[in-house]
This record gives sequence, C-alpha cells and structure tokens, in this order.
Amino acid sequence: MPADPVLRCQDLGVTYAGVRALSGVDLGVAANEVVALLGPSGSGKSTLLHAVAGIVAPSAGEIWLAGHRVADRRSSVPPERRAVGMVFQNFALWPHLCVLDTVAYPMRRAGRSRSAARAAAIELLDRLGIGYVADRRPAELSGGEQQRVGLARALARNARLYLLDEPTAHLDTHLREAFQAEVLARCVDTGAAAVYATHDAAEALRLADRVALIDGGRLVQFASPQTVYAEPVSETAAALTGPGSVLSATVRAAGPDRLGVDLGTGELTVLGGGAVPGAPRPARLLLRPDWVRPDWLGDDGPVPGRVAAVGFRGTHTDYHVDSPAGRVLIQHAGPPMRAVGDPVRWDIHRAWVLGPGDASAEGDDGAGLVQPVVDDVEV
Amino acid sequence: MAGSRDRLVVAAALLAVVALVGVPLYRLAQTASEGGTGSISRVLHAPGFAGAAWHSLMLALVVPVIAVPLGAATALLLRRPDVPARRLLQVLVLAPLVVPQFVLGYSWTQAYSQAGFTDQLLGVHWAGLTGPVGVVVVLVVDAAPLSYLLTTAGLATRAQPDLERAARASGADGWTTLRTVTLPLLRPVLAAATVLTFVATLETFAVPQVLGAPGGFSTLTTRIYADLSLASDPASFVDAVTLALGLVVVAAVILAPADLVLGPRLRTTRSAQAGGAVRASRRDRRTIGAAALLAGYLLLAVGVPTLALVLASITRAVGVPATPGNWTLDNFRTALDGPTVDSIGHSLQLAVAAACALTLLGAVLAALERRRAGRALGSLVILTFAIPGSTLAVGLLIAYGRWLSGGLFLILLAYLAKLWALAHRTVSGAVDRVPPAEAQAARCSGAGPAAVLRTVWLPALAPALVVAWLLTFVTALHEVTMSSLLYSTGNETLAVAVLNSQQLGEVGTTAALSVVLTLLLVVGALPAWVLLRLLSRRRVGAPRLIAARVAHAR
Repeated sequence: MPADPVLRCQDLGVTYAGVRALSGVDLGVAANEVVALLGPSGSGKSTLLHAVAGIVAPSAGEIWLAGHRVADRRSSVPPERRAVGMVFQNFALWPHLCVLDTVAYPMRRAGRSRSAARAAAIELLDRLGIGYVADRRPAELSGGEQQRVGLARALARNARLYLLDEPTAHLDTHLREAFQAEVLARCVDTGAAAVYATHDAAEALRLADRVALIDGGRLVQFASPQTVYAEPVSETAAALTGPGSVLSATVRAAGPDRLGVDLGTGELTVLGGGAVPGAPRPARLLLRPDWVRPDWLGDDGPVPGRVAAVGFRGTHTDYHVDSPAGRVLIQHAGPPMRAVGDPVRWDIHRAWVLGPGDASAEGDDGAGLVQPVVDDVEV
Repeated sequence: MAGSRDRLVVAAALLAVVALVGVPLYRLAQTASEGGTGSISRVLHAPGFAGAAWHSLMLALVVPVIAVPLGAATALLLRRPDVPARRLLQVLVLAPLVVPQFVLGYSWTQAYSQAGFTDQLLGVHWAGLTGPVGVVVVLVVDAAPLSYLLTTAGLATRAQPDLERAARASGADGWTTLRTVTLPLLRPVLAAATVLTFVATLETFAVPQVLGAPGGFSTLTTRIYADLSLASDPASFVDAVTLALGLVVVAAVILAPADLVLGPRLRTTRSAQAGGAVRASRRDRRTIGAAALLAGYLLLAVGVPTLALVLASITRAVGVPATPGNWTLDNFRTALDGPTVDSIGHSLQLAVAAACALTLLGAVLAALERRRAGRALGSLVILTFAIPGSTLAVGLLIAYGRWLSGGLFLILLAYLAKLWALAHRTVSGAVDRVPPAEAQAARCSGAGPAAVLRTVWLPALAPALVVAWLLTFVTALHEVTMSSLLYSTGNETLAVAVLNSQQLGEVGTTAALSVVLTLLLVVGALPAWVLLRLLSRRRVGAPRLIAARVAHAR
C-alpha cells in the first residue's frame, strides 16, 4: 500500500439535525481498490459517501483524499474541489439537459471548451456502448441507460476515487450483474479506487477487494470478503454478510484452527475459531450453509434432525432442519431430495464462535436463524 | 353507469362555465357593438385613454420583472438551513398576502407620504409614492410572495437535492450549480409566476386607485371604475364596456402564446423527494448579510406601514402626533357604526359561501381531470382566470344585472367565475401527486367508487381542499375590483366600505376599518389554518409512528 491512501477517514462522525447518522468511522481505501460498504438501508452508507463527496460536512473526525485533508470539524472543502466522481442511487439526471450535455457537464466545469467537452463526452458514451442516446433527455431513457449515463457523468470527472451509491438498486436483476462488474472495471482501470454502497451481501462479497460493514452509523468490521463471511465479529455482522444459522453449543479449543463442538450429540472436531473459551463452555455458534453437509445416503451423520421447511432455489435447495441445538439452514445442490417431516442426519466441517457481544437479542433457547429465509418455504 | 354520470357532471360543469363567463363576455361584446364603431373610436380618442392604457401595460410589464426575481431569490435564500431566524422570515415573507392590496397601499401612504409616520418621526417623506414609481413599488411588495410560494413549491418538487449534489460532485461551485441546474429546473415555475403576476397586475385596481388616482395616474381599471360609478350617462357605460373588452384583448394577446408554451410543461409534475438544502453548510457571512437585507426589506415594506396604519387607526385626528396621550378608540367606534357592521356580515357571508362553493367546484373539476373532456374543461376554466376582474364584473352586470342587481348574489357569481381556476388548480395539483395505483389497489381490495373516494382520495386531498378553501376565502374577502363595481347601497362589502371611506378622505376611520378587515381575515382563516396543521401533522406523524413501533419491536 502506498504511503498516501486514496481515501482515509479518521474517527469520522456526521450529525444530521441533532441525530447522529455516523460516528467513529475509520476507513482507508488504496489505489485500484474496490471497497464495498455493506449495510441495511438507513445504516449510514449514503451519509458516509456524502461526507466523502463533500455534500455533508462532518461533525467529528477528518477526511483525507490523496494525502490532503479535505474536511474536519471546522472546515469542509466543497464537492467541486474534491477529485471525486459520484454515481447517485436514483440516477439524479438533470431533466433539462440531454445526455450529451449531462456527460459534458463535469468537463465544462473543469474549464474545457464546449466542443472539446462534447467530443470527449461522445467518446465516453461510445465506450460505454450508449452513444446512440446522446441527444435524448432522461425521460426518454430506460433504467439501464439512465444508470450508464449516471456512470458516464461520474467518469467524466476523471477522478481518483469513485463513489457509487447503490448504483444498481433500480436495475432489473438480469442487467445487474453484468453492469456491476462493468461499473467497477471502468472505475478502476484508470487507476482510481471505488467505494460501492450496497445492501446486498452477495454483491458486496463478489465485487469488493475489501468489505466495510456499516450498521447503526458505525463501522462494524472492515476486512476481505472471505474474512467478513467466515469470521464475522458479531451476530449482526454475520447476519449482514450472508445466510447462516446460529446454534447453541458447548465449545472448546481443540488445537490450532480446530474446535471441539458439542451440539448435544457428542463432541465433533471441526475447522474454525472465533471467541473460543479455553475450557468447554456454552457458546453461540455460527454455521454457514456451506459448512454443513446433509447425509442423504445413510445414518452416518453425527447430528440428527428433521426437515421443517424446504425451499427450491434453482441451483440448489434450502432445507431448514430442526435439531437438538436449534434450527439449521442446509443448502444442497439439485432439486429437493427430502420433504417436510423427513428425518435427516447431518455433519459440520467448519464453525465460527460468535462473541458474547450482542447475544442478548435472541431468545432464551439460544437458537436462531441469522437470516430467516422464509419467503419461499413450502410447508 | 359511471360513464353516463360522469358525462352529466361534465355537462353541468360546462354549463356553469358558459353561464359564469361565456354569457357575460358575449353580452359585453354585444353591448359594445351596439354602440357601433363610434364608441370604440370615442374611447380610443378620449382624453387620457392612451395614458391609461400605457400605464396598465407598463405596470403589467414592469412589476413581474422586479417581483418574480425578488420572490425567487427570497425562496432560494430561505431554503438554506443556516439562515438566521429562518422560520420567522418564512412567515413574515408571506405577510403581504394577508393584507388586502388596498390596505397595503393605504398603509404605505400612512407610513411614507407627507405628514405620514416617517415624516412626523424623522421629517422624511417620499413624494413619488403617489405616482407611477410608488404604484410599482407597492405592487411589487404585494406580488413578491406569489413568486416566493411558487418557487418554494417548485424547489420542493422539481429540484431534487440529488440533482444539485450531482452538479457539485461534477465540479460546479454553488453559483454555477444555481445557474446551470437549479434555475433551468425552475424555468417553467418562474415563467408561470411571471404570467400570473402579469395577469394580476394588469387587472389590479386597488393600488392604482389608492396611490395613483390622487396624483392623476390612471389605468384602464381605474377608468372603468370611474366611468361606471361616477358617471351616469349611457355613453360612459358603453365606454366602460369597451374598455373592459380592451383589457381582455390585451390579456389574451400576451397569454395565449404563454399558455401554449407553458401549459404542457407545467402539467408534467415530478414526484417530490425529501426536500431541503443541498448542503448542511456552515453559516457564512454572505448568508447572514442576505438575511439581514431581507429582514430590512420586510421591515420597510410591511413592518413600518403596518405600524403606521395601526397608529393612524388609534390616533385622535390627522396631524396629531401618535403619542399615547392622543390615543383613542373613537375611530373604531365611528367605523363600526351602523351600516359598516352590516358590511362585515356581508363580507363574511360572501367569503364563506364563495369558499365553500369554490372548493366543491374545484374538487368536481379535478375529479374529472383524468377524462379528456374534463381536462379540456380544466384548461377552459384556467383561461377564465386571465379575464380581468373589471371585465368580468361589467359583463355579469349586463348579463344578469336586470334580475340580480342590488343583491349580494351577483357578487357571489363574480367570485365563482373569477376564482374557480384558483380552487381548481390547487386541488388538481394534489390529484396529480396521488399515484393511480393507490386507487387501483383500493378497488382491487374490494372498495367501491364511493369507498375509494372516502378512503383514498379524501385523506390524500384533504390538505389541498383546506388550502383551496383558505385561498378562495382570503381572496374573496380581499376582493375589491369586482365588488366595487357590483355593490349597491346597503349591500357593501367591508372592502368596499374601506375603499369608500378612503375616497372620502376619512383617515382615522379608513385606518380603523383596514385594521378590522385584516383582523377579520385572520379570524376567519384561523380555523382552516389550524385544521391544515392538524392534517399535515397526521400525515407526517404516521411514518414516524411506524418507525417508532419498528424500533420498539427490535
């Protein structure tokens, strides 16, 4: 990592009309890096982007862009003097300007002549494959085209850092994945960095080099996608980063990266770590669906259970299985192999022990599903 | 069948437009043509006509050019959250709307003319007040709040904060954003404000009458008034009719192209997002300076004149210093003696009846907006707004005066004809903002048309209906252009009584009546205003309540 990161936030706090929207955020973004801001709506993702862009002024902390301090408690450099491009969630295209003038706008502000700015805008639009909409107004564009124009306008700033506020939230599912990859490729291939806000865990894990988990205005965890998925710092962090189950189990350390786990049916030795106690003690255990394996053929699986719900997902099937330690989500390739009520034995090969931090939220039995997947359950 | 019932309503509404506007205009044209071309040339060559026509046009062209930028700049300033005393300024800016036009004009004479408030206090007075410049200034003060309101509404619905943020994030500074994004977005709104101010100024009567007439500055409207109320020979009546027609021609020539250009653009409304300023920026010196400038303007334009008016109303006699020793309530006693008390009753009856009828008429027309015939009817009604009040009044007098002369009903008809568009626009704007899906969802949930009306439309439109009532009530209570032409002895409205008292030069009484009229307006409008606050609180409160419940459930 070079000496001066593209973006550095230090103890950043933002207060809106007396309400603390963001507090104590420390975040660094290096050149060429894609950082995903992952969090539920209202968690402060947009506020963080707005603060970095200069749209809101921080009430605490500092923001540094490429080694220059641009904002602190007392002063804030206005957005036009920060080398930052932004893609807005609702497109924010100006209804009175055609696409060409919209994309030429940032270059005009940078002092280029009208004809030069327009020529560069045409080139940029062509590169994004939407040169044919140049003379249209926003009202005449499809959702995908609007989003591309929004991206083109941000790219036209030629910035070192691009901020993307849920840029695909309004796109059809089939457009989304192709577009996401393209957006980030466009931003990063110039050597710039990108901060990408989203509430979709799969999207964040797929696209980002590092994931920043935001919840309740705080940075909960900031690490690689693999780490935030496999080693969440809390139950909240676990819920934000993908499907999984939380069971109550007796846990002890069993060597390096090994856990002794007792789900009430005898101890199993599995891969994993986390807030592991020295001596065997009751703990809350995160099981991702890919860490759990059903045993369809025989009765070999060490843990007994009974299928409570089945949901077909296309590439795989979700089984919600009741076991002595609580309800567990198991995913298995292919169409449903078991029906509701069928007994099933299963096994685990990895687990993560959650800290005691936010365990109080759950009921007394200690078992809960991290991300309830009940929308397509067949009962 | 719903379809045939709708057709019946459309037919009834069309009949109402024809009776209220069509017939009077037709009778006007008929009467003017009876006088032959002779009357036209007589009017055109009458001494002072050219001057009056020029004055009318000059006012109508100059006032919007000053008032619209003033109102728009105020709206842009007061949108910033860092303006000191922002709430207070937001209320005070609207003060001229509460004060009837001629009361405003009259209070300016009390404040700034010779022997007025500032003359007594500081020995300073403004001789130009009773001339063209004074008329323009007071009309600007009166008209600026309209542009302020329209711009504020336009900022909330058209200029979504993200559009301006996108400009800032594209490298534009504050002024460039204003020039390249905010103002272009507001262009249709500013154009509409200009057209409305043009119409209102062209037909204005009270301010030129109060300020201009004593100095010999006459306009088409004051000439119509003079011809109708001061002369009694038939020829001058025909002259007035011809003048009234001329006024409508001027309005049509300017407005027809404006409506063609603006109409479609104004109808495409955008959904409102969270409003507010672009940036929670810190208070800087320029903002404070601008706010101070605005406060100073409000003090001079509204504060001092109001103070002068109130002092004049409680001072024993003209020319006596307004010290506590000379204070008296005699003016109020004289003012409220006998027939004037009746005129308060007349004014209230008229304003309440007009407001109720107009709210209903506006709602009916708005309900028809989604049918093609209904839309055409809506456009027709809006065009009637451009017909100057003097013209409409003379037309109604010719058409129905035979049967209705001397009653308040003729004045009520004039109000209905003139103000229907005001009520209609208010309600139909709210109709536009209700997504059709809401009503469709209710129908799919088993609600019949009546239930949809009650459960979807009424709650959504309730605030707009109250606003329509409030607007028409206030306007009707202020109205003096038409009622001064249509009243008969014993049937004065309070506004006419104030005007007559002013014409007789009774300073103390006029001031007292002006105060009473303004208070009457506040008292009459207060229940509606309270209702409006309750309604808006309920609509804002609901999501908060839900949010609180969700938070609690967690």
